[in-house]
Amino acid sequence: MARYVLGRVAQLIPVLLLVSALVFAIMHIVPGDPAELMLAGAEGGAITPQRLAELRQQMGLDEPLLVQYGRFVAGAVTGDLGQSVRYRVPVTGLILERFTPTLQLSLAGLALSVLIGVPLGIAAAIRPNSWLDLLAMGAASLGAAMPIYWVGLVLILLFSFQLGWFPPAGADSPAALVLPALTLALVSAGMLARLVRSSMIEILSEDFIRAARAKGIGERLVVWRHGLNNAMIPVVTMLGLQFGAMLAGAVVTEIVFSRPGIGRLVVTAILQKDYPLVQGCIVFLASVYLLVNLAVDIAYAWLDPRIRYGT
Amino acid sequence: MAPDIALAVTATRWPSWLARFARNKGAMVGAALLVGWIIIAVFATQLAPHDPTEMLSRPRRPPSAAFWLGTDMLGRDVFSRILLGGRISLRLGLISVVLGALPGIPLGLLAGYLGGWVDTLISRLIDALLALPSILLALVFIAALGPSIGNVMIAVGLATMPLYARLVRGSVLAVRRLPYVEAARVLGNPPWRIMIHHVLVNAYAPALVLSTLQVGNAILIGAGLSFLGLGAQPPTPEWGLMSAEGREVLGRAWWISTFPGLAILSVVMACNLVGDGLRAALDPRMRLER
Repeated sequence: MARYVLGRVAQLIPVLLLVSALVFAIMHIVPGDPAELMLAGAEGGAITPQRLAELRQQMGLDEPLLVQYGRFVAGAVTGDLGQSVRYRVPVTGLILERFTPTLQLSLAGLALSVLIGVPLGIAAAIRPNSWLDLLAMGAASLGAAMPIYWVGLVLILLFSFQLGWFPPAGADSPAALVLPALTLALVSAGMLARLVRSSMIEILSEDFIRAARAKGIGERLVVWRHGLNNAMIPVVTMLGLQFGAMLAGAVVTEIVFSRPGIGRLVVTAILQKDYPLVQGCIVFLASVYLLVNLAVDIAYAWLDPRIRYGT
Repeated sequence: MAPDIALAVTATRWPSWLARFARNKGAMVGAALLVGWIIIAVFATQLAPHDPTEMLSRPRRPPSAAFWLGTDMLGRDVFSRILLGGRISLRLGLISVVLGALPGIPLGLLAGYLGGWVDTLISRLIDALLALPSILLALVFIAALGPSIGNVMIAVGLATMPLYARLVRGSVLAVRRLPYVEAARVLGNPPWRIMIHHVLVNAYAPALVLSTLQVGNAILIGAGLSFLGLGAQPPTPEWGLMSAEGREVLGRAWWISTFPGLAILSVVMACNLVGDGLRAALDPRMRLER
């Protein structure tokens, strides 16, 4: 097991390097000059070529792209993602400050999605073509076709403006987390239910289930012990990918509910052309996403010994 | 010789998958809905009861006989703007898919067929691109290109490109060592001819299904980016942007934000139904699973 974990961690490093190189390369395709932006923001139009050259040298923008990338990676390893052009503070600090609410939102959304999706999927699998199955599959199709911001707006209309149960904005109370998390969950729970359903149906048609039934141990035990345990294995892998969907969905959801977080940070950074900040946020989110998927892979290997021994 | 056989096989399969598609109720509903939206998009200017950019009433008028879906905060007719918005979203969906498939399919074909260092290079690139959720990848492209509806099409296209590459590479790997491909090689066909006539033919069905599903997905991502202010700019009647504008007055005028979302829901649902129907009709193995 330890060898497997080490191997997977070692595989992560080149992927991280490649992802950061890609983000870095894309961000540098278009020659927007952060130094010029920085001066325009600070000194109100009076940009002297001399001052510009000075600042560019200071920021390392006069060096070849590869050197700049090398410096970015060297910095990133020590936790330094550069300086924000607009806020004039280290990017890392800005990100860490706003990561907690984003993480809370993503985890709450994932938890709600599992709470809705898994039971729905199991119910649908036990009685295929029942009304519950139709409901689950209908919810899955709807969830896949709704724009996430729209789900948020409709929830605000219903539960804030009409019923007054939850606040429509902010992040100061646990109640304020409910609607944003529900927004994320409603979009993804259907897909999860569909996956649980098909995985469960497959398992329930296997020979060992027939053997368990033949043994006469009772349908409840067959479904919950023998069926669910095995059906959950592919679902766990899916959760890693779902977490990425949650992070991406959080970007939009934070804007809808005026919540602080990395999503808001990155969107304003794009609008303000704060390139170092955009780059830092995306590389950070990608790293979190990859690390979570690594954790999921390890959990998966732990659940299913066949993976560990490489068959 | 070999191309003739391949053609004969596709020729006999053609009507049967189309018939399977026509028997699928969900797919037919989706297709009808999609055709409806295409007609609306083409004749939007003729169908719209009002000028979508003209301020013709007092702002935030609730739905009525004169303004079916109400007016927005500038007194423009929401219904007319939704009709015009269909044109923008459908065009965005189609162009993004073309921009993703056009580089993605050849990349996957090259990687799968040539193997070796070409495969390693392309596969690593695909892995790295897929390591980011496509919305975040699209954000990176928008950050570099700047916010506009045209750039959203490019961004969504490039962000979904690795999906096509991965899919085609997989289909190519499945067939490239099969005897009929070997035979075509032995007969002295040049590699490009084998790739296109013998190998790619086997990947067209999954690529078609993916493209159909991606039209809906691209419309969703595009509307999301416009909602964030990173896509279409005012006064464009784009659905995501309309929802964002209505958000400011959501409590007083719910119709401005909600109706454009329903329009997206119906278009994306239509694309997904058609895509699922195509998948079921084109792939007999999938048919057994459902």
